[in-house]
Amino acid sequence: MELLISIVILAFLFETMDSSAGMGFGTGLTPLLFLLGYEPLQVVPILLMSEAITGITAGIFHNEFQNVKFSLKKPINSETRIMATIAGIGCLAILLSVFITYFAIVLPKNVIKTYVAILVLVMGLVGMISLKNRKTNYRPKLLMGFSALAGFNKGIGAGGYGPVVMMGQIFSGIYEKTATAIVSLAEGFVSIVGVASFLLISSYGVTIDYVLLPSIFTGGFIAALISPYMVRVLPNKIWRIVIPVYAICMGIITLLKLYL
Amino acid sequence: MENETQSKNIYINEIGNIAKMIDKEMTIFERMKIKSDSLKKMGFALFFYLVTMIIFALFL
Repeated sequence: MELLISIVILAFLFETMDSSAGMGFGTGLTPLLFLLGYEPLQVVPILLMSEAITGITAGIFHNEFQNVKFSLKKPINSETRIMATIAGIGCLAILLSVFITYFAIVLPKNVIKTYVAILVLVMGLVGMISLKNRKTNYRPKLLMGFSALAGFNKGIGAGGYGPVVMMGQIFSGIYEKTATAIVSLAEGFVSIVGVASFLLISSYGVTIDYVLLPSIFTGGFIAALISPYMVRVLPNKIWRIVIPVYAICMGIITLLKLYL
Repeated sequence: MENETQSKNIYINEIGNIAKMIDKEMTIFERMKIKSDSLKKMGFALFFYLVTMIIFALFL
């Protein structure tokens, strides 16, 4: 087992942003690792394995630092129900993507990835423009719509699940700190289903390379402990700006990756 | 007193209101304080990390 310091640092930085701005671990780190010369089977399942643990850890500590209140006590509170809904839709999306892969349905990858990149970019821009007059009433139907849209995108293999769900929660009137906590835990559960899918695929002869796992897990885990504390301490007005700006960056990075 | 507790509970039960309440009622320095219970949980998480890394070292 070897710890690659540069990978530890990258995983730490991207997971810090993922657990505090609700997006970026998959969308940002995956293309960077490909650029460093790693293969999809060295990157995708490992990111899912790491995100399964770090997402749940971040969710637990967001709850501990009171950015959110998850509870299984009946009646189950709204925050837990929203998290379960988002996670449920994400899990269905993973199953849809496995179905598409299994039946070898060919989709125009560049077109759908461009569509998601533009969607994330526009959502980030709208988030920035509407900073001052954002509605704070919770609108559950709008949230369901965005969750379904994010799930559909993930299901067809276009990614961008975190940014769309995160911005969707904010547009639906959820407080930024709480939205981050909800999406962190939801992504943890979605990643568990992702890992299970990959293990299923690997049982059919596809070999997963675990060389990056210790490094990504180390950086990601430390970030998952620190980020919820950072979210608690820093004022919400900072996250209100950081989140849409980061979404804009994610959209631009995806477009650059596709067309450069 | 009971009404006050009841209204506080309603406040906490609404989405994101516990985070909003903390932001409103505490300064940054007050929010920086970590409860000893939270520190214990962080310690437990680090122990979990070490155990996982040992498992990786043994099997990878």
